[in-house]
Order: sequence, then C-alpha cells, then structure tokens
Amino acid sequence: MPFSDRRVPMPNINGRSEPSFYALFISTLRKAPCLSPSPNAAFRSISEFKPPRPLPSSCLSNSDHCSHYFPQVILILGMSRSQGLSLKRKRPDTNAASQPLLDAERVLYDLIRSKEDMGIWTRDMKRETNLPDNVVTKSLKALQVKKLIKEVVNIQSKGRKHYMAVEFEPSKELTGGAWYVEGNLDTEYIKILKETCVKVLSKLKVATAEGISESINKTGLCATECSTQQIAEILRALVLDNEIMEVRSSGSGEFSSIPIGAVCYRCTNKGGLGGGGPKIGAMASIPCGVCPRITQCTPDGIISPKSCAYYAKWLDF
Amino acid sequence: MATQYGVQLAVHLISSHFGNLVAKVCDCLLRKGTLTLASVIRFTELPPQQVKSCILVLIQHNCVQAFAIQQEVGFGEAPRVVTQYMALFHNILHRMRFAKFLAIVSEELDKECEEILEGLLQHGRLTLEQILDRAKSNQSEGEPVVQDALRESFLKLVRAHFVERCPASEPFLAPPSEEETPARKRGAKSAKLVEEPQTIEQRAIAAAAPMDAKRFSVIINTGTDVDDSPNVTAGEKRKQDALELDKETGASCEKDVLWRANFEEFVRCLRHKACIANVKTRLDDGAAIVLSAMLEATRSEEKKVKTENSVPLSMDTIFEGVMKSEAGRSMTLERVRGSLIQLGCAPCVRGAAESYSVDLKNIIELAQNDEVESITLKRYGRDAYRIFRLLSKSCRLLETDKISDTTFVEKKDTAKILYQLWKDEYLQMEKLNLHGSRQSQFLLWKVTKDTLWGHVLNEMYHSALNLSLRVAYELEQEQEIIQLPREKRVGALGNRFERLRKVRILLESSLMKLDDAIMLFNDF
Repeated sequence: MPFSDRRVPMPNINGRSEPSFYALFISTLRKAPCLSPSPNAAFRSISEFKPPRPLPSSCLSNSDHCSHYFPQVILILGMSRSQGLSLKRKRPDTNAASQPLLDAERVLYDLIRSKEDMGIWTRDMKRETNLPDNVVTKSLKALQVKKLIKEVVNIQSKGRKHYMAVEFEPSKELTGGAWYVEGNLDTEYIKILKETCVKVLSKLKVATAEGISESINKTGLCATECSTQQIAEILRALVLDNEIMEVRSSGSGEFSSIPIGAVCYRCTNKGGLGGGGPKIGAMASIPCGVCPRITQCTPDGIISPKSCAYYAKWLDF
Repeated sequence: MATQYGVQLAVHLISSHFGNLVAKVCDCLLRKGTLTLASVIRFTELPPQQVKSCILVLIQHNCVQAFAIQQEVGFGEAPRVVTQYMALFHNILHRMRFAKFLAIVSEELDKECEEILEGLLQHGRLTLEQILDRAKSNQSEGEPVVQDALRESFLKLVRAHFVERCPASEPFLAPPSEEETPARKRGAKSAKLVEEPQTIEQRAIAAAAPMDAKRFSVIINTGTDVDDSPNVTAGEKRKQDALELDKETGASCEKDVLWRANFEEFVRCLRHKACIANVKTRLDDGAAIVLSAMLEATRSEEKKVKTENSVPLSMDTIFEGVMKSEAGRSMTLERVRGSLIQLGCAPCVRGAAESYSVDLKNIIELAQNDEVESITLKRYGRDAYRIFRLLSKSCRLLETDKISDTTFVEKKDTAKILYQLWKDEYLQMEKLNLHGSRQSQFLLWKVTKDTLWGHVLNEMYHSALNLSLRVAYELEQEQEIIQLPREKRVGALGNRFERLRKVRILLESSLMKLDDAIMLFNDF
C-alpha cells in the first residue's frame, strides 16, 4: 500500500485523540527533502513514537517548528536524508549516538553504516572521504575496538579489507550465498547433498526437484533443511557430473505421477550408486590423448612417440 | 577433413603400404592440392617415369582420381585439355580400417565373400576374371575351385553393395556455362538451403561415378543382367535399355569391367554400429535392439551415408524386424513402443499409418560430445569436465562467476581452468568492458563446436600417427627376436617376444578404437 494511502493511526494523548497532530506530522514527512526509500519503515518508527507533551497550538500551523519538539524525529529524518532506512537493519540503532567519536571516525562510521549489508572496501573509503591513509587506518582500528564495525570477507575479492557496521549481516554478494562459509566454498556440504540426492533418486527412479527436496527434508537425511531451489542447484551440478540426467515427463509409465512436460531427473546408466562416472573414450585411453606436450610432439623430434616417457610407462608390462 | 596431421597420417599409411616414392607423390598432391603431371614432377623433383608409376599405383588403389579439364590459353589459341590428379584423402585413410571391412563381410556374408573382398582390398581393383583367377591360385592343391560358387559369392557382395564398379578413369569436366545459375538464396531463414557451388574436385568425383543403374549391375557369361540397383526410376530406364543393347557385346565388355570395394557402404555399416553401441550404453539393450532392427531394414534405402534421420518405418515392420533377431524375440510390442519413446521417435502420421524415424544425427552428436568430454575429464580433471559440459550444453557465452556458481567450483580455480581450456583451444573467450561508476571487465566463455571438433580431429590424427610409429619402432627394436625360430625363443628372449606380442596387441587395438573415434568426427 503506498505510503500516502495508509490510514494514520490515532493514539490517545491526554485522553483525547489528536488526529490533527498526526495529520500535521505526516505532512511534515511528505515535505522532507529526502524521504526514506522505504517509507513503510519510517512510518512504523513514527507510529510508535508518542510526543512528550501536548503540542502548542502555534506548532499546528507551522510545520517547520515541529522539528524542535521531536528530536527523535530529526534523527529519523536525518537518517532518511542520507541513504534512507534499511529494512535489513537487524538491531535498533542505540550505540552510535552514545559513543563519543572523533570527526574522522564519525565520517568513516557514517559512510560504513550507509553501505548497510554491502559494506565498503578501505580504498573506496579513502576515495570517498579524502582522508589521509594513516587517519583512515587509525580510525578503523578505533571503530573496531569500540565494536561499531567489523571486517568481513568479500568473496569477489578476498584480498581486500572490507568493513561493515556490526548490526548488519553480509549480503549474498559478499558471502557468495548459501554454499559459502568464511569465504570458501563449502565443498563438504555440497558433496553430502550430492550423495544424498543420488541416493534418493536411485530409490525413486525418476523425480522432480520438488519431489527430491521433499523426500530429503521429510526423511531428515540432511542435518539442515534445504530449499527446493538449493536442491535444484545441486541436481544441475549432478547433471553436469553426468551422474544423473534431465528428462521430460511423458505422463505415463514411470512418469505417471509427474505432470506431462515437467522437468525431472533419473540416474544415468554410468552414474548412480557405484556407477563409476562416464565411460572412458578412445583418446582418453591412450597417452597421447591426455598428453600435456602433444603440441610439441613430432615424429622425429625431441619429444616423439619413439622417445616418449608416457609411452614407455604405458608399455611397461 | 585433411588437417596438418591428417595429411601426415595419410602419407605414413601410403609409405608403409607402397614405399617412400609413392608416399612422396601422395604427399605432394595432399599438400599442394589438385595438380597436373608436370607440376607433380616439378614439386617432387623425381624422374617423370617414376612419378607416372607412382600415380598409377595410387589410382589403382583408389587413392587418386584423374580428370580432364579444358584449360584456357592465350588469345587466339585453341583451348587445350589437360589431365589433373587429385588425392582422395578419405580413401587413403580407409586403408587403416580394411580389417573392419573384412569383419563386416565375414559377419554378414561368408568366408568366400570375405576372401574375394580381401583380394579387392589388396589389389585395389580387379576384373571378375582376375578375381576368379586369384581364387584359383589361392586354393590348395587337390581342392577344386567351384567357379559358380565363386561367382555367386561375388554376386552376394555386389547385391549387398559391398562391391561396386570402379569410377571412370579420366572423366572430362566441361567448363561451366554462363547460363548456369549461381547459388540461389531463399531468404534469411533458410540459410542452410544456400547451394554452395561445387568445387572442381567434387565435380570430378560426381562425373567419374558410374550411373546408379550401372554401379551395382553385373552381366555374367550367360548374358543375364543382374541389376541390383534399387528404385530404378523412369529416367534410369533409358539407361537400362542402353545396357540391354550392349548385351551382345556384353560378355567381352564386362570382362574388362573393374570392380572395387565400395567404401561408402562399409562406412554406412560402421555408422550404424556406432549408433547402436551408443544407444546401448546410454539407454539400454532394448533400445539398441529396436534401433538395430530399424537400421537393418532400411540400410539399402538410405540415400547418403550422413543421413540425418533413419528411413521411416511402420510399427508392424519395426516389430517384425525386432522379432527376427535372437535378442529381440522376447520383447513385447509395449516394450518396443517404450524403446521408441526412449529413442525420441515421435510417430509421424503418413496417410492411415504411423511411422517412426530415429534422429541419427543427434545420436552421432551425443557420441562426439561423450568423446570430447572424456578427453576433458582425463586431461583437466573433474571440475574442468563440469565446466566444459556446462558451456557445451548452453551453446552461448557465459561469464566466469556464473560458471563458478553453477558448477560449484571456487572462483579462482574456475578462472584458472577456463584460461587453460582457452589456451588449448577448447574454448572461445570474449572480453566485455562495462563503463559505469567503476569500469569493470568481464570475461565470457563459449564452446564453439565446429572449431573444437576440427582441433580434436587433428589431435586424433596425430595420436593415430604416433601409435603407428610406435608399433613400427617396437617391431624394429625386436627385429632379431621376430626372426628367431619358435624353439629358440626361450628364457629372456622368450620374455622379450612375449612383451612384444602384448605391446602389439595393446597398440594395434588402441589404434582400432581410436579409428572408431576418428570416423565419428570425420566420416559419420
């Protein structure tokens, strides 16, 4: 529902409902130069707010003076003016205001917080604030000691120092998503999921991603619950491994419980439990087929079939 | 496709069968293309008579085709006709697989047919009389040669299209007239239908080939015309009538008719075998039996070797074919239907009947993919295998991170693998620069099958050459052992002989298996 259409709640003030106060308050927000991109969040914060004392009548007609009586409104609007309130904020903003910060620290802290769950690289901080390197370094250390910011790993560029305000959790772009832990691919978890999917598919013979996901979650084969989307990603990787293949349901026979045309999966002849993977081709069966020096090999050259070490090993009975 | 190592392999085959001089002439024709005799003499720097003899040997063994062409000369002079010679790369490579051709005949026909074919493969081309004489000389003493039985075996080979009349030795290619229309374009959508103008070599092959009606036609001594050409059209009838007129002098003309192995038919048989083997591995035995029955029933009706779809057949005919085979006898109609679905055969309604056709081109492509993926797995590892399969299936450019996410490979490892595959010409790479608040460069990757298939084929030729050279080297090293009588091959010498036997088996069987893969990319 658009912000402008939302009905304004009317709490009692001194036993009387004051619709005019809230109407004035909303109109003040509307006039604010930079309203939060997430006005619902701003509205929620405002609707919880109760004025400390009744409004003087002069304030009702002059919206500019309202701000003097609502210091917390200033803070909300101030925050709106910067980057807007984030829906992703996990904890209420209490620490920042209370901690005494030096100017440089304040500038850096505000910048870091404004980046929310994306965080910011030290070099970008230096560029945006024009602060000297040593000041930035010192300030960042101080902010970390004060537990206002934290260092996070950016999967896109692990070597770079990336910082974020403590109240935010790193976004998927930084962490790499569900498959990454501490900046590295969780290969063990992926391997377990793959094996589980193959086991389930071997029993079901043919199934959709939803069917496999349901089966895994129902039987508790995996310690953590997996979404269908995650299972679909694992199945896609298994198709690429040639352990399973993707087929379309014909609606009959073994596909009778699956709608016609639906994408489903079955184990390959080569794959499945103990399948052993894809068949070895003709080229892969001989030394030349996998030789790293094939481009340098010539019939009478230094590297040749007559002098080849790989051949010698292959023919060593 | 005559790639660099394809040419080297072909020259090596000619060298080992006919010697270095013939190999030198063949090398000249393969590298320089179609040439006149004078040009061959100039390039090879061999005496003219030697060059002529070498070319005759190559023609005899169907490795070279001659043709006459009108050459424009200076103003005022009459045009003159010159003879040019072209190497037949595919026929040269077929020399590697004569054993497979013999095995096909042994399996489908009988021992006598196999011996006749062996003679044709050894000598390149023979008349019927020469075939019979050869059989006579090969028979052991006291064993009578039954001429009629031999002729019957020969007819079997012709009826099965394993043997054909030799092409014309020197057809004349008329100069293309000005009225001939150039390639007709039928719009952007039908770009595939653009008729590419034939090369002079293609025109020569077409001009030399015997007419369809005559190609598998045998006139034996009784004067009976055994015409085994299928589906003789009205247009061919006149040609058959012309043949009838020749009957009076038929006996003497036919004596001079040269016959040779029809490589096209053998390649067709091997293509069918490859499709059946792939289906058996990928699907199951039932699907393989059904496909085998369909291909056997329609083999003689296929117009060309690289036919995309099998000839359509009704369910009744398919079922009948399946029942004929021992393995298929226990299959029910329902099972056959199921196998047809597995093979991807959608029924096509023609009139009142449904007919089924298999996409053979798709099966061949899957087999080609399997081969290249197998190389990738063995050479670069499992992560690279997954990456390659992703790119191969998607047929479009994909960005590095996207590849990493989909294949569950660490980003830095993905970049390394992609770079290595690109360096070895397995992938194509494109750079994408984005100019925004910050300039970013993205690398996009793609598998381009045409280019890659050519590269893989060249590597296969190279490997086949290496295997052949290694066999020759091993035999050369153990020359003394080979010449020893059996009773002296004991102890250490016996061990060396045993090792040589195992080495030969391994190398030669690997070469045969690799040749199957070469045919998959070159002939099928």
